[in-house]
Amino acid sequence: MIHRPLPTAADPASTDILALANSPVVWFCAFGVFAVIFVQTFIYMKAARRAGPEIGMETREVMGAYRAGAVASVGPSLAVVLVAIALLALFGTPAVLVRIGLIGSAAAETASAGIAANSVGATLGGPDYTQQVFALSFIVMSLSGAMWMLATLILTPILKRGSSSLARVNPAAMAIIPCAALLGAFSMLTIAELPKSAVHAVTVGVSAAVMAGCLFLARTLKAHWLKEWALGIAIVVALFTAYFAHTL
Amino acid sequence: MSTVTESRAAAGMAGFEATTNRWGRVTMMIGLALSLIGPVYVAFFTGMDLAAQQIWLAFIGVAAAFGVLWVLEPVTYFPILGSSAMYQAFMIGNISNKLLPAAIVAQSSIGAKAGTRRGDLTAVMAICGAATVHLVSLLVFVGFLGTWLISVIPSDVIEVARLYILPSVLGAVLVQAVVTMRQLRPTLIAVGLSLLFLFVVVPAFPTLGLFATAIVVVLAIALSWLLRDRNRHTGRPADATTESQP
Repeated sequence: MIHRPLPTAADPASTDILALANSPVVWFCAFGVFAVIFVQTFIYMKAARRAGPEIGMETREVMGAYRAGAVASVGPSLAVVLVAIALLALFGTPAVLVRIGLIGSAAAETASAGIAANSVGATLGGPDYTQQVFALSFIVMSLSGAMWMLATLILTPILKRGSSSLARVNPAAMAIIPCAALLGAFSMLTIAELPKSAVHAVTVGVSAAVMAGCLFLARTLKAHWLKEWALGIAIVVALFTAYFAHTL
Repeated sequence: MSTVTESRAAAGMAGFEATTNRWGRVTMMIGLALSLIGPVYVAFFTGMDLAAQQIWLAFIGVAAAFGVLWVLEPVTYFPILGSSAMYQAFMIGNISNKLLPAAIVAQSSIGAKAGTRRGDLTAVMAICGAATVHLVSLLVFVGFLGTWLISVIPSDVIEVARLYILPSVLGAVLVQAVVTMRQLRPTLIAVGLSLLFLFVVVPAFPTLGLFATAIVVVLAIALSWLLRDRNRHTGRPADATTESQP
């Protein structure tokens, strides 16, 4: 038998996800996406600072807008961090940074990964969540995220011209179709978790109840920050409950 | 405003748009490629034995659930963001919960109206500020702190967390979607269809399996449209009442 050192501890049947998820290539690409966004931000800022005086905006005001945006996003960014940390065990750090932290959202990405795992008869995060299932989930959620970007790249110039019929879509249809699609997908995925086990059902219930409670409190107390943190809080409380229910 | 400064402003803004649109597209294409290289490497170059057919099947399942949103989300956000910010927003993500609030806060603190040149420039700069904070906090708290955290948490805790993360996310996300959209009929239709398919139709026709989600999404759209409240005023942005509070 030839002994060949693999770049990672790769074995399709292994459940050691992190060994594969932390492969240097994946880390490199994750840092690459960060670098690209930094470069984009730099180019946009330079262009805005140049255009500011032309349209009668002082540099002080342009930088004031930058600072206001930065300060306003501290809370929401930390809320995303909490959700991302909860998902680290499932996808590993570099995949979470790119998929959950940046391009996608926790909801769409975990749901996509769940659908991908189901398509080969496995459960996301379950005992049959092998490196192979992780690889499938990872590429499928990345392809799904790529479709959002592709749609943006194709549609933005068309919408900018304004001559497209897309821009004149019936507002009633635009109000109903995305909502119905989102509700259909997420109610189907959520309800499918219920029969898996009693602990699954309890976890869904606790997560839903905590979210409902946070949103209710956010409204009655006018605490807008609570809306941003609601998803992270619900995930953490539901996971704690699941841990105690599972080990009881 | 005299015609001279007006034409100067128009030229300045045109230059800004040309630069940001060109480089926005280029950076987004590179970001798109980089976001795919990692998973393609994992799927095909680490000996995972994945068949292209498996990936297609799973992709079709995801397309069935989210395909409509791939197209409709960019169309929905375009009028709010404008073309320059589109290339930022769909790469940075977290548009409605972070980038839009940042832009609105900045516009009100500078005193720039949305839709004007000042407003557009303010929104782009605010998104730049939000991007900077977001990238740094992700790198520090998830990249370094999170990776360390995972290495010290006992492995049995990690295993349980992994097993129940999906129901933990989905329960909250469904409630959030229902509350944010405040669309009673589509909600009832979607939940009713899901119950019907999961507990009646799929057990009767197990071959349906993966396509059940697709069928539910399509039926939810069709029924929500056919049974819509025709008297209701439309065009209300999602969550308008709670978003507009100071």
